[in-house]
Amino acid sequence: MTQSPVVRLQDVTKKIGGRTIIDRISLEVYPGEVFGFLGPNGSGKTTTIRMMVGLMSITSGDILIGGHSIRKEFPQAIRQVGAIVENPELYRYLTGYQNLVHFARMAPGISRSRIDEVVRLVGMESRIHDKVKRYSLGMRQRLGVAQAVLHRPRLLVLDEPTNGLDPAGIRELRDYLRKLAREEGTAVFVSSHLLSEMELMCDRVAILQKGRVVDIRAVRRDSESSEAAPDDVWFDVERPEEALRVLDGLGKGRIEDGRLAVTADRKTVAEINRKLVEAGFSVYGIRVKTKTLEDQFLEVTRGESVG
Amino acid sequence: MADFLRLLQNENMKIYRRVGTWVMYAFIIGIPLVMSLAIISVTPEDPPSNWLFMFIASNILASLIAIFTVVKAADAVAGEFSQGTIKLLLIRPWRRSSILLSKFLAMLLFGLALTAAAFTVTLVVGTAFFGYTASPEDMFSEMGRKNPWGYMLLWYLYQFISAVAVASFAFMMSAAFRSGGLTIGLSIFILLAGGLITNLLSLLDKPIVKYTLFPHLQLTSYLDGGPGPLPQYPMTLGFSLAVLGVHFAVFVAVAWLAFGRRDVA
Ligand SMILES: Nc1ncnc2c1ncn2[C@@H]1O[C@H](COP(=O)(O)OP(=O)(O)O)[C@@H](O)[C@H]1O
Ligand SMILES: [Mg+2]
Repeated sequence: MTQSPVVRLQDVTKKIGGRTIIDRISLEVYPGEVFGFLGPNGSGKTTTIRMMVGLMSITSGDILIGGHSIRKEFPQAIRQVGAIVENPELYRYLTGYQNLVHFARMAPGISRSRIDEVVRLVGMESRIHDKVKRYSLGMRQRLGVAQAVLHRPRLLVLDEPTNGLDPAGIRELRDYLRKLAREEGTAVFVSSHLLSEMELMCDRVAILQKGRVVDIRAVRRDSESSEAAPDDVWFDVERPEEALRVLDGLGKGRIEDGRLAVTADRKTVAEINRKLVEAGFSVYGIRVKTKTLEDQFLEVTRGESVG
Repeated sequence: MADFLRLLQNENMKIYRRVGTWVMYAFIIGIPLVMSLAIISVTPEDPPSNWLFMFIASNILASLIAIFTVVKAADAVAGEFSQGTIKLLLIRPWRRSSILLSKFLAMLLFGLALTAAAFTVTLVVGTAFFGYTASPEDMFSEMGRKNPWGYMLLWYLYQFISAVAVASFAFMMSAAFRSGGLTIGLSIFILLAGGLITNLLSLLDKPIVKYTLFPHLQLTSYLDGGPGPLPQYPMTLGFSLAVLGVHFAVFVAVAWLAFGRRDVA
């Protein structure tokens, strides 16, 4: 990419009490990109985010935000960041609006009309003057997002933001984050332990395991998948073993879980189907086994010892 | 500078938007009222002068003000940790030292406002119930009889300084241990047991007691030209203020060091 990254992690390491919790993580997030930080519980997502926003010291390595080191030039670096770290904990005895006023006062140049605009953006107009202690977790997530975007940050960091949201809320958040990235060029860094969510939300995903980034890859979207690329395809057919012999090696035919599976592009799939029908087999269904992020995740982490 | 005032505004908002704060004010206003009514109903024929009433009521209120200020000081940092809001507070373009300073100043202003309220309420309520006297004959103090205004103002100033010393200790504990309960417990222990500890230390007959914090919390013992809180070791007001100042500096330094660097987990 020709653009310079909004945030750059360089060999970031965190040791607590002799234990290495984060091990030489390096990654970059670019403007307009939704970047997923995916890992099971305890893999170090929150710890990494705490270092990105200056809540925790970095044992070695550095984090640059817009070119400013979070450890050496904290105010310059952090002013470009909006974040929720772990749960969106706000002042429960204040109203949602008072909470926003509080955080608006801490950054330069946030007008009342900007606060109102953000309240509308997160759809909280009707409840914004209620005390936060009366909010559901989903509403606190929305208010958390609101305080994070008030000052139009170049980097938005959200730690497991879908916790406590219902499916409609998750969808809304996803659309909002994608829009923010697309229209304002915000770099969005989202962590999650849920693969399915990341797949829908992100352009790229880093897979974190026990404090190490084991892979960074672009998320393949259905619309982008090339016609020519081979897919894993299942044939629902009677007597699969006999059917396999008919294929005669075409599409690397094999039996998986008692079913006939092939790896083939569209043309080959059609050809296989014709062969089977001509040989007198009834084909009840042909199903593309899409490779989900989950499969990719398992592929990457397979063979590594657990625990 | 204008920006820093907005931090202070935030801290004030967090103090005055809480019900607890107004309960504290209710005590400061209610106690003098209830006391006056009680005095009038018990001894209607021999009422105190407004100044004697003010002195007695203020003695009770001064302890409360110290406790209330300690509670707010303890809550200042520890409260942000227990609510989890510290994470959102510290990811703003401000140094931690500025945020700590805004909290400290808000705590001082809170104590000052309570002190001013107590002075006003005890004066007004006393005058309303017992009439105004320019030279009260029933004050225990020589200076209090001659110049009651000067005496009470000085008395309030000394009490405020003591309250600030203990509240600074609470503030330091709050920043270092990030636990409000521990902080309030220890600070109120110092407030209540301070006199007792002073007595115990003087029994040991060691002049070291002069350099501890506890005796110097009783600055009012210098009024009327007294020898200070430890009669067996005569001291001056200047010496007491110096000892308090050193303690204050240490408390603030520890708070700053503890808050400035450590990981927020
Ligand atoms: N303050 C801390 N002291 C010691 N260990 C910690 C601390 N914070 C987190 N850890 C450990 O670091 C690992 C990563 O934790 P965390 O970053 O919270 O993971 P995640 O957010 O991915 O669930 C865990 O094993 C956790 O026990
Ligand atoms: Mg976490």
